[in-house]
Amino acid sequence: MGKRLRVPLIVGLGLLAALFAAATLSTAAVSFRSAERDDARVAEVLIGDRVVIVLRTSAGGYTPLERAEIVANRLRSALSEEVAAEDVQARPIPSGHGVFAANRLIVAVYGSEAAAHEASPESLAKLWRDNILLALSLPLPEEASEEEPPVEEAPGSGEAPAPGAAEQPEGPASTGQAAAPEAATAAESTALDWTGTAQKWVPIFSLEREGVRIGFAQVAGPTSQVEKVKGVAQLRLDFQRIGRIYAYIPVSTISVRKLDRVQGVSVWALADVKVLNF
Amino acid sequence: MTKVRLVAGILVMLGLLGFGWAATKAYAIDLGDVLKVGGVAFLVTQYDDQIDSFITSALGEREAAVRGATKVVPILSLGGGGYIGAAQVVGNPENVARVKAVIQVEGRFGSGRAQLLVPTTTDRATGSPDRAKGVGVSAVIEFRI
Repeated sequence: MGKRLRVPLIVGLGLLAALFAAATLSTAAVSFRSAERDDARVAEVLIGDRVVIVLRTSAGGYTPLERAEIVANRLRSALSEEVAAEDVQARPIPSGHGVFAANRLIVAVYGSEAAAHEASPESLAKLWRDNILLALSLPLPEEASEEEPPVEEAPGSGEAPAPGAAEQPEGPASTGQAAAPEAATAAESTALDWTGTAQKWVPIFSLEREGVRIGFAQVAGPTSQVEKVKGVAQLRLDFQRIGRIYAYIPVSTISVRKLDRVQGVSVWALADVKVLNF
Repeated sequence: MTKVRLVAGILVMLGLLGFGWAATKAYAIDLGDVLKVGGVAFLVTQYDDQIDSFITSALGEREAAVRGATKVVPILSLGGGGYIGAAQVVGNPENVARVKAVIQVEGRFGSGRAQLLVPTTTDRATGSPDRAKGVGVSAVIEFRI
């Protein structure tokens, strides 16, 4: 029995080690996310934990988040090989400026994106180039030290000296020619305070395959916002074939047609009771 | 006497076989749990950004997008410490950036269940969970493993 157990044990531990190794390696990789800066929704591209590019405007029919995904994919591809400092460059392209890594265009900076960051396409491209170099622990070009220092765009902070930029969409955009940027995405209104401490329990209604469940959610947030919450809508989504997502949306009216989300309120606890099996 | 020995021998053998089967069964469950936890950890690390943007997009399509920073982090079970799923947390950007995991405390009562979801700045689920201020849960992700 010892030998019988030893083999699967070794295989299992090996698999586990491989999974953790892969997970560890990927943490240093490129990612992107949605964020809010200066009361506006933006998309950030990160290398490791460091934000290197912030996209504020739509371009070529792509939202900032979609553009961030494109940029992140390009960065991943470029960084899959060893990259030296001189391989990361900011240089002119026909429609503005571009940031390149290993001769691949990573992000194109057009006028509208640069304007959203109150910068020129050139200065923005150089800033992002320097952010990438810093994130990769590579030395900055000498010219950078004579200019303004690069700025890491920390989450929550405004983009100090001036980032902004646009990558262009996949396909033709990868040549550097590109689609005209669209107007900046709509800015969100007031800054929200998520730190309120008011809480209350409200109903969740959801239908599941196992039967009808009646649920309750404890929502929390600023008092004025929590008071508006009448219930929590549960939205079930399938992510590829990997997972099932239950999104919880605090709403001010219980309606299946329109979700009137109450901003600044989030879910702290869930409870449900199965009332009917079928 | 011979019959007694024979019966005793058979009983001992059956006992050993039963013990072996039980041990193997117990081991298989443990290994499965271990692999599941490792698999969830891997999936969370691998797909966190994709899931985050997927949820954001899905809510945006329904005009229910959240106004705040979001991030997908693993859910840890209190006490066990294993990764049992993932959660999208939402809140102020600076607070969300500090969140490393959501600790789930689950209780059952009759045909009901309750889950307390605590965003935390540590990635360990030991002791009493320290709630990250200004952050809540927007979605829960169950992986099919």
